[in-house]
Amino acid sequence: MLRFVVRRLVLLIPILLGLSLLIFVWVRALPGTPADALLGERATPQAVAEFRVRYGLDRPIYVQYWAYLKTTLSGELGTSVASHRPVTTEIRDRFPATVELAFAAMIFALAFGLPLGFVAAKRYRSAVDHGSLFLSLIGISIPVFFLAIMLKYLFGVRLAWLPTVGRQDVLVDAEHPTGFYVLDGIVTRNWNAAWDATQHLILPAIALGSIPLAIISRVTRASVLDVQNEDYVRTAHAKGVPPQQVDRRHVFRNALLPVTTIIGLSFGILLSGAVLTETVFAIPGLGSWLKEAIFNHDYPVLQSGIMFLALVFVIVNLIVDVTYGFIDPRVRVS
Amino acid sequence: MSVAQIEELALERQQPTGGLWREAFRRFRRNPAGIVGVAFVGAFVLVAIFAPLIAPHSPTEQNLLLIADGCCPGPSREHLLGVDELGRDELSRVIYGARYSLVVGVLSVAVGLSIGMLLGSIAGYLGGWADSVVMRAMDILLAIPSLLLAIGIVAMLGAGLVPVMIAVGVATVPIFARLLRGTILGQREADYVLAARSIGVRKRVILTSHILPNSISPVIVAGTLAMATAIIDVAGLGFLGLGPQDPATPEWGTMLTTADRYISTAPFLAFFPGLAIVIIVLGFNLIGDAMREALDPKLRRYD
Repeated sequence: MLRFVVRRLVLLIPILLGLSLLIFVWVRALPGTPADALLGERATPQAVAEFRVRYGLDRPIYVQYWAYLKTTLSGELGTSVASHRPVTTEIRDRFPATVELAFAAMIFALAFGLPLGFVAAKRYRSAVDHGSLFLSLIGISIPVFFLAIMLKYLFGVRLAWLPTVGRQDVLVDAEHPTGFYVLDGIVTRNWNAAWDATQHLILPAIALGSIPLAIISRVTRASVLDVQNEDYVRTAHAKGVPPQQVDRRHVFRNALLPVTTIIGLSFGILLSGAVLTETVFAIPGLGSWLKEAIFNHDYPVLQSGIMFLALVFVIVNLIVDVTYGFIDPRVRVS
Repeated sequence: MSVAQIEELALERQQPTGGLWREAFRRFRRNPAGIVGVAFVGAFVLVAIFAPLIAPHSPTEQNLLLIADGCCPGPSREHLLGVDELGRDELSRVIYGARYSLVVGVLSVAVGLSIGMLLGSIAGYLGGWADSVVMRAMDILLAIPSLLLAIGIVAMLGAGLVPVMIAVGVATVPIFARLLRGTILGQREADYVLAARSIGVRKRVILTSHILPNSISPVIVAGTLAMATAIIDVAGLGFLGLGPQDPATPEWGTMLTTADRYISTAPFLAFFPGLAIVIIVLGFNLIGDAMREALDPKLRRYD
């Protein structure tokens, strides 16, 4: 098991190196020079020259790349041009919002996708089955931001059941020791704040979770149908195990394996979708941060933000792979 | 007659028509979901081509008198889907929007498909270090979630319709490259390739006229499904404000950005462009699924 984890970690190194090189080249291909971006367009030639020396931009490109690698690895990610705050501080402030949202979306997708797929497979070719297939088709066909706008209108404006802006009502008095607002409310025993933060999460989570929900229900259905024909399921039935127990122990558990992989892959969809969902619901997360960074030509933020999200994505997939190896011994061996 | 010829004859009697494509087409026609998909997409193609004839108004014509009492008058006899915040006919804008979505969708998939197929066939057929280099590069691109990758490319090229198209296309390159490499690897060791090689057919000819035609069907399926995601991603980038910078352009995603601002007074402005996206994307998804089943019936197990 340890060897499996170590091997996967070693395989990550070239990917991350390549990623850093790609982002390094990409930043240099962005319109405008860093001096323009940081000093403004009216900087004197002398100031620009000084700037170039100070940031090492006069040195050969491979020296610059090496310097960039060293500073990035030491956790120094630069300063946002727009807010003049260190990028690391911004990430610390905004990352919890995105994680909380992605987590809530995933819980929603699993809570509805797994049962839906399971029931559809059990009632293969019934109305329920066709309904679930149709629903998952709609789920992957509806743009996240359109669903978000429609939910906002229906539940926020029309019915006025749920809040649609931000993460917490401004009138709610709350402390935020962790940055995860729901958790903060629980930790500080401020139930009112926790409930308020949860309400703020519901609509964004549904919008963002719609695609994973569709994929999870489809994969679960196919996987349950597969497993049902396995010899060990027939054996279990033959030796008289109660059907519900067969479903629970033999079918459902084994059917979950492919779903694990989907959870990892869906995380990329969640991060992509977070940019759109956070924009619609005005959530100050990493997604809306990157969106603003483009309009502000905030290159330090774009550079570190995209690198950071890619790193998170790669690590999540690694964790999922390792978990997979943990649940299914066959994967470790091969 | 040899045994092989008899077997061939027997097989021919079981399957009345010859050819993978004719067979696939026959199966596709029998799939109601695929027909619905073709109907959806076909309707949009017609709307896009004949937009000037169908649209009751010009998509950019403003009638400020209509919004004199505030934004925005809802559906009426004169304006079936209502009027937008600048007094333009919403129906005409949705109709003209079909042009942008279809063209940008097709072109971006074409970009992704051509680069991806080139890289995939190089990697799959040459193998060795070429394979390693290409596939590691693809791994790196796949490490960035696709919409973020597209955003990064738009940041480099500047906002606009063409950059969005390129960005969405490049973001799909790894998918096609990986897929084609996989199928080519599977075909490379096939008997017919060995036969071709043993009679001295040149490497490039083996690749282009033996292996590629036999590896193409999964790529076509993936290409159709990629059209669906490309249209969604293009609209998404448009929604973020990275699409066409001229606000007169009736692009669906961009229309949703302004519609979002007027959501409490004029929800129909968001509803109709969004519905148009859903229907066309649904169409491509239905066609893609049906084509997969038609081209590879072995995959069809439970649906």
